[in-house]
Amino acid sequence: MRAARRTLQRLGLAVWLAGCSSAVTREGIVLRDFDAPRKPPQTVSVQVGGGRETEAGYLPQISNEVFTAALVESITTSRTFSRVIHGGRADYLLQVTLISLDQPAIGANFTVKMEAAWRLMRSDTGGVVWREAIKSSHTQTAGETFAGATRLRLATEGAARNNIREGLARIVRLDL
Amino acid sequence: MARRLLSVTWVLIALVVGAGCAVNRATALLTPGSDLNQVKTFHVVTFPPDKRGIDKLIRDRLVAMGYSATLGPEKTAPYDADAVVTYFDKWMWDMAMYMLELTIVLRSPTDDFPLATGNSVHTSLARKSPEEMVQEVLTNIFKAPKQGS
Repeated sequence: MRAARRTLQRLGLAVWLAGCSSAVTREGIVLRDFDAPRKPPQTVSVQVGGGRETEAGYLPQISNEVFTAALVESITTSRTFSRVIHGGRADYLLQVTLISLDQPAIGANFTVKMEAAWRLMRSDTGGVVWREAIKSSHTQTAGETFAGATRLRLATEGAARNNIREGLARIVRLDL
Repeated sequence: MARRLLSVTWVLIALVVGAGCAVNRATALLTPGSDLNQVKTFHVVTFPPDKRGIDKLIRDRLVAMGYSATLGPEKTAPYDADAVVTYFDKWMWDMAMYMLELTIVLRSPTDDFPLATGNSVHTSLARKSPEEMVQEVLTNIFKAPKQGS
């Protein structure tokens, strides 16, 4: 009886520590507390690369589709640009390449670090207006989330959300 | 009996923590507008926590590929090279320590902007040596297709 209890305790510890896959969601990445101080009249189209699909049983990844959807929604709600144009010719082209995702596989508090390469170009001339490597991170503590898989997903989503926050903050400072 | 139960418990824990995480993945890409054809010299920036000499493996592999490469700590840009190489590695224990994941990023020597990135993950049963991991990531980076404008 005592052995069975110990087994359960240890399995619980394993679930608490482990951080295997739990798919990253658009809802978890979208920036909801950012409001562009200026509302520029220009439009933008968005290209995202470097994302990966989450593989069963491994650490949660950020797909291009999920990051694109979160970025578009963040731009739209914050009004960083007047409109996001899909498939047409916008005033600017924003290219974001996901460069690296540094995730722990095990632990109590999960800190995920992310880097993305942001590049903004004028569509008419192809001139690069701004480019920068943006690094972000987010820590999800064991006190906030018990299950390791969920904790790692939330830490990953937080790092991606902070990357979008930093990227859009730099864009609104540009003299477009 | 108690000892056997303990062993079974630890095996179960290992399975919950590690099982299902069997992955082999090797990806690389150039950022839009980047062209590695003009890059001939590299400076490898030593990852401060690296005590296993991965920086030297990367430098030696670049030299073996016909490039000129140096290594050292991070400096203030610009670097005296066509590209700067940064990396981070992740290790895991399964009977012995092995390299689980390696990410290498090639950067502009002037503004740190990423030109290309490569990442390989090989879990325990398909583990590779650090030399093989470095070779795989660098080969994939230089084979990666150019992205648009």
